[in-house]
Amino acid sequence: MSSSAHARMNCGEFRTTYEQDTTIFPTPLSRRMVIAAVVFLCFAPFVLNAYFLNLGIQIGYYAVAALGLNIVVGFTGQISLGHAAFFGFGAFASAWLNNSTGIPVFFCIPLAGMMTMALGLLVGIPAGRIKGLYLAIATLASQFILEDFFARAEWFTGGVAGAMANPFSMFGYEFNTDQSYWYVVLVYLVVMFLMATNLLRTRDGRAFVAVRDHYLSAEIMGINLTKYRILSFGISSFYAGVGGALFGHYLGFVSAEGFNILLSIQFLGMIIIGGLGSVMGSLMGTVFMVLLPEVMEAGVSLAGGFFPGVTQALAYIKEMSIGLAIILFLIFEPDGLAHRWRMIKAYWKLYPFSY
Amino acid sequence: MRKSLILGSLLLASLAIVGVATAADTIPVGHLAAYTGPTSGVGIPYGNGIDDALAYINKHGGVNGKQIKFDTVDYSYNAPRAIATYKKWMSSLKPVAIQGWGTADTEALVKFIARDKIAYISASYSGHLTDPTGKSPKTKSPAPYNFFYGPSYSDACRGLVQWAAEDWKAKGKSGKPKFIHMGDNHPYPNAPKAACAEYAKELGFEVLPSIVYSLKPADAKAQCLSLKESGADYAYLANTSSSNISLLKSCGTVGVKTQFLTNIWGWDENSIKATGDAGDGIVWVVGAAAWGDDVPGMKTLKEISKMSDPSGTKRRMLHYVRGVCATFYMKEAMVKAEAMGGITGENIKKGFEQMKDFVPPGLEGVCTPSTWTAEDHRGTTLVNVYTSKYNGGDFKMTKLATVEVPRRPEWLGW
Repeated sequence: MSSSAHARMNCGEFRTTYEQDTTIFPTPLSRRMVIAAVVFLCFAPFVLNAYFLNLGIQIGYYAVAALGLNIVVGFTGQISLGHAAFFGFGAFASAWLNNSTGIPVFFCIPLAGMMTMALGLLVGIPAGRIKGLYLAIATLASQFILEDFFARAEWFTGGVAGAMANPFSMFGYEFNTDQSYWYVVLVYLVVMFLMATNLLRTRDGRAFVAVRDHYLSAEIMGINLTKYRILSFGISSFYAGVGGALFGHYLGFVSAEGFNILLSIQFLGMIIIGGLGSVMGSLMGTVFMVLLPEVMEAGVSLAGGFFPGVTQALAYIKEMSIGLAIILFLIFEPDGLAHRWRMIKAYWKLYPFSY
Repeated sequence: MRKSLILGSLLLASLAIVGVATAADTIPVGHLAAYTGPTSGVGIPYGNGIDDALAYINKHGGVNGKQIKFDTVDYSYNAPRAIATYKKWMSSLKPVAIQGWGTADTEALVKFIARDKIAYISASYSGHLTDPTGKSPKTKSPAPYNFFYGPSYSDACRGLVQWAAEDWKAKGKSGKPKFIHMGDNHPYPNAPKAACAEYAKELGFEVLPSIVYSLKPADAKAQCLSLKESGADYAYLANTSSSNISLLKSCGTVGVKTQFLTNIWGWDENSIKATGDAGDGIVWVVGAAAWGDDVPGMKTLKEISKMSDPSGTKRRMLHYVRGVCATFYMKEAMVKAEAMGGITGENIKKGFEQMKDFVPPGLEGVCTPSTWTAEDHRGTTLVNVYTSKYNGGDFKMTKLATVEVPRRPEWLGW
C-alpha cells in the first residue's frame, strides 16, 4: 500500500512508538491550539483593559503555585494544607534577596523558588514517614509555624509591617505596569507548565504516580518511597515559591496576613475544581477560582439595582460562592474541569457513537 | 456553568464601558472601607460617615459644582487586598484622593501614593504618617501625601500617659506607677508602642513588657491573669473596640484592678453597652463632638446623617462623626485645590497644607481645629480625654481633660 493511500485511510490518531505515546501534546491539533493560545495571549495587553489584565496576572501566578500543589496532591497522592505558607515564603524570600543583597529581581524569582524548595524538602521529611490525615495535620502545623515566622522574623519579612518588593526589571526597563508584567507572568506560566508536563513523562514523574496509585507495589518495584515523597514536596514548594515571588513583585508589597490557611484551602479548591493529577486542570481550576468572585461581584452589583441591600452582603456572597463551588464540584464533578474537558473532546471524537 | 462565565464576562465588560462613559467632569475618589474583618466594629460607622458625607456633598452642589465620583471597596482589613484595590483603582478609577482605613495598608502604600501623587486621608492615625519630608531621625519613610484627622496614635497615647501621671498624683499615691501596653502583634496596635513607652518613662513610669491579645474578639482570661500578675497600674489597650469588649469582660471575671486606657478606636457607645459594668471607668480619647452635643455644627451633622437614615432617628457613633470630619477636610482641600488651578492630588495636598486652625464650614464645634503644614502633618496634638459610666441600659460619657501634647520636632514621624 502506498504511503499516500495509507494517509488517506487514517481515521484517527495512531501511535506506533512509545515516543509518540508520551508526547506533550496528544494530537497535532492540540499542539497548534496551545501555541495559538499563547500567541493570542501575547497580544492581550493591547486589547484588554487593566482590570482584565490584572485578573489574568492573578491567574498566572496562582496557577503556577496550584500546579505545584497538584504535583504533591494530585500526582504523588499526599496531602498538603500548608501551600499558602510556601507561596508566602517565596514572596518574602524574593523580596528579601533583592532588598538585602541587591541581586536583580530577574534572578531573585528563581532563587526564591530554590529557597522555598529547600524549605519544602525539610518540611517534606515527615512525609516520608506518615501519610493521610497525619500528614495533613503535619503540613497544617508547618502552615502555622511559617505564619508565625513571617510575623516575627523582622530581618527577613519586615515583621508584621511587611516588606516592599521592587518591580521586576530587565536591562534597566521596569515591568511595573499590568501591560508589561503580563509578559513576565506569561513566560513563567508557559515555562513552568512545560517543565511540569515534562517532569511527568520522566522516570521520576512516573514514580510519583506509582507512589500515589499503590505505595506498596511501588516499593516492591524498587521505588524509594521516602525519596520520592520528599522530592515531590520539594518540587511542589519550588512552584509555590516561584508563584509567590511573582505575586510579591507584582503587588510591590508582601504582608504576612495574605498567606493564611484560607489561601491554602483555596489552592486545594483550585486543583480539586480543575482536576487532581492534571496539569491542564491546575490552570482551569485557577481560572475558575479567580473569576468566580469577580462574576459574583458583577452579578451582585447588577442585582443591587433591583434589591438594594444585597451589595452590603457582597463580601459574604463572594466567600460563600467559593465554598459552594467546591462542594458542588465534589458532589457532581469529582474529577474536575479537566475530566469534563476530556469528556467533551471524546464526545466530538467519537460522534456519532457515544462510546 | 460555562454559560454563566460568558455571561459574567459580558456583564463585566459592559460595566467597564459604562464606567468610562461617565468619567467627564467628576472628581474620582476611592474609599477603602473595613465593613467586614476584625476591625469592622468601628469600620462600619466610620465608613458610613464617609459615604453619607460624600453623598451630602454631592447633593449640595459637590465641590464647586463638580460631583465626587466615589467607589467604596470593602477590603476586610487585609493589607494585600488593599494594595490590590489600589492598583485596580490606579488603572480604572484614577482617583485624585483616597479615603483609606488601616495602618498596615496605609503604611505599605506610602511610597506608592507619593509616586502617584494622590492625597490619602487615612483612618490610621499612625505617627509614622506625620512626617512629609523625612527629616526627622525617627521617620521610617517620608509620607508627603498622607493626612489624617485627629491626634496621632503616639500623641494620643502620650496624652493619656500625661493624664495618668496627673491622676496618680491626684490620688495621692507614691512610688513609680507601672504602665503596660496591650495589643495584637499588628502594625496598628504597634504604632504608638515605642513612642508612648519612652514618654511614659520620661514621666516617671515603670514600663512593663507588653501583653499580646488578639484583634479578633476572643476570650482573653489568660492575658488578664498576666496583667493581674504584672501589677500594672495603667494599661493602654491598643486594639479596636470589639476586641477590647472581650478583653474587659475577661478581666472583669478575673478581677483585675488596673486602670484601663484606650485609643480613639478602642471605645465607643456600643462598647459601653456591650461591656456593661466591666467597662466602667475606662479612660479613652475622643476625636470629635459626640452625637447630640450642643455645638453649632450639630445641625449639619444631623442633615448628613439623613443621607442614609431619612427618618433622622438613628444615633450615630463617635467614629461616624470622625468619618464625616475626614471627608469634609478633604472636600475643603479640594476647594482650595481648584483655586490653585485644578483638583489634582498635588493641589489637594497643598490645599491641606494651607489649613491653619481650620474647621470645615458648617461643622463648627464638631471637628477639632486642625493645622497641616508642608513640614508637619500632625493635624492636631490636642487630646480629649473621656471616661464612661454604665447605668444599666444607659450610659454617661464625661470629659476628664484636654491634654495638649508638646509638638516636639523629634517626635515627628514617630
